[in-house]
Amino acid sequence: MRFERIDVRQVIFAPNGVQPRDYDVVFIRCLSHSRALYAARMLQEQGVRTVNPYEVIATCGDKALATLAFIEHGVPTPRTVIAFDKESALSAIEEMGYPVVLKPLVGSWGRLMAKLNDRQAAEAILEHKQALDGSRHTPFYIQDYIRKPGRDIRTLVVGDKTVYAICRNSSHWITNTARGGIASNHPVTPEIDSLSRAAARAVGGGIVAVDILEAPDGRLLVSEVNHTPEFHGAFEVTKIDIAGRMVEYILKGLERTRGG
Amino acid sequence: MKIGILCSRLRVEEKLLFEALRRRGADYERIDVRHLAFDLAGNGLSGYDVVLIRCLSHSRALYSAKVLSSHGVRTVNSYEVIATCGDKLITTLALIRNGVPTLRTMVAFTPESALEAIEKIGYPVVLKPLHGSWGRLLAKINDRDAAEAILEHKHTLGSYEHSIFYIQEYIEKPGRDIRSFVVGDETVASIYRNSSHWITNTARGGKASNCPITPEIDRLSRAAAEAVGGGVVAVDILEAPDGRLLVSEVNHTPEFRNSIAPTGVDIPAKLIDYVLEVTAMESGR
Repeated sequence: MRFERIDVRQVIFAPNGVQPRDYDVVFIRCLSHSRALYAARMLQEQGVRTVNPYEVIATCGDKALATLAFIEHGVPTPRTVIAFDKESALSAIEEMGYPVVLKPLVGSWGRLMAKLNDRQAAEAILEHKQALDGSRHTPFYIQDYIRKPGRDIRTLVVGDKTVYAICRNSSHWITNTARGGIASNHPVTPEIDSLSRAAARAVGGGIVAVDILEAPDGRLLVSEVNHTPEFHGAFEVTKIDIAGRMVEYILKGLERTRGG
Repeated sequence: MKIGILCSRLRVEEKLLFEALRRRGADYERIDVRHLAFDLAGNGLSGYDVVLIRCLSHSRALYSAKVLSSHGVRTVNSYEVIATCGDKLITTLALIRNGVPTLRTMVAFTPESALEAIEKIGYPVVLKPLHGSWGRLLAKINDRDAAEAILEHKHTLGSYEHSIFYIQEYIEKPGRDIRSFVVGDETVASIYRNSSHWITNTARGGKASNCPITPEIDRLSRAAAEAVGGGVVAVDILEAPDGRLLVSEVNHTPEFRNSIAPTGVDIPAKLIDYVLEVTAMESGR
């Protein structure tokens, strides 16, 4: 199988030019969400299949769209409110009760996540977000804070298989390994397996990482799904050939395309 | 049947729309988007048959349409139309896919590849932000020095999406462009926007005058509206020196106050009639 690395930083897309279908499939591994998103869309318009597809990237990359997809598909997720102004956001927060978490709609590695424990913190953060947002009026995404047991669970779903589960332990409420969370292996229980696959289906499938929170009452809640998962830490603790699984999935899809 | 009008600050347009609703005795309510907080699992505004989205902010329009439609409330315009028109790259792709003539466009993700794309197209070119209206942050670039400076400024000072470089050939238009209003499957009005500046938006000083809706303008406007998913939209059309008409953009929440007098068309009435038609369909389901 022939493959080529394409550096997205050097590509020029010319949507109205006729471009030959050079690739059967393009695996999208850009760090930047917006580059991944638009590259996938332009490739798909030219008839090139992408992994993940544009729709999956669009849904996972926007927390509001992801949450709506979970709700539509009955995947348990923390209570979430969208508000369009800092006053209505503050009323929503007070109605939900502290602590709550404010998250940017787009972003990863735990960046700009804000845990708000009281009204003063809420007022300060809301004002900063609104003032620094320019004229975009990006809505506020507000979520119940789940008191998790010093860790969360991250699983990887490839196609319709849960490949692994790890937990990310941290004394900080943000458990991302990019933020100092320590990964360890975790069994893929039947519940974790079915929840992970349901979350992946809800956003459109493909290759995704699912973040799962354990609520104090024992429920498992899906908080996010990531469309370009990092996995070097998970590889070290699970010893699973993750890259191999991903490539097998892509090749299998390729056979189907060619066969059909 | 009940209609909601979702808005923030009221412009002349919204006041004219309320007046048109009152004249028709329609049951409507103004909803201030700034007061809204949607519980995503709840059914926030399900008391409405149709909600007309008239927020100034694209993000607010986009997400409220998404949440409303996920709660089963029909919106005008639909989420898909707002998502497509609100993003110039997605609009361009929709126009190309549907065979609507548009400008040659290139997209690059770094200042270096953007510069290469610019030189491939040849000066002058226009750089546009993917999101934005009223002609803001449109940059006409006539030479390499300007290109280098603008690219560096966008990349360094802008948020991440200013580094998705959307580059278009510059069309030498005859001191004006054309904007037509499409409501459903009808081109209801069309204006010229005359300006000595290359940016012709009336918000930027362009002067509106009536433009006769020729069969070509009519066909092109409706094709562009259909390409982005229909509804109520304004289509921007450029006249190229060789006579071709090219669609440059489609706007999902058109302002129309300056277009009523020159065209003599009651645009708000046309818009409300369409909303009432959609509402009758929705409440008849």
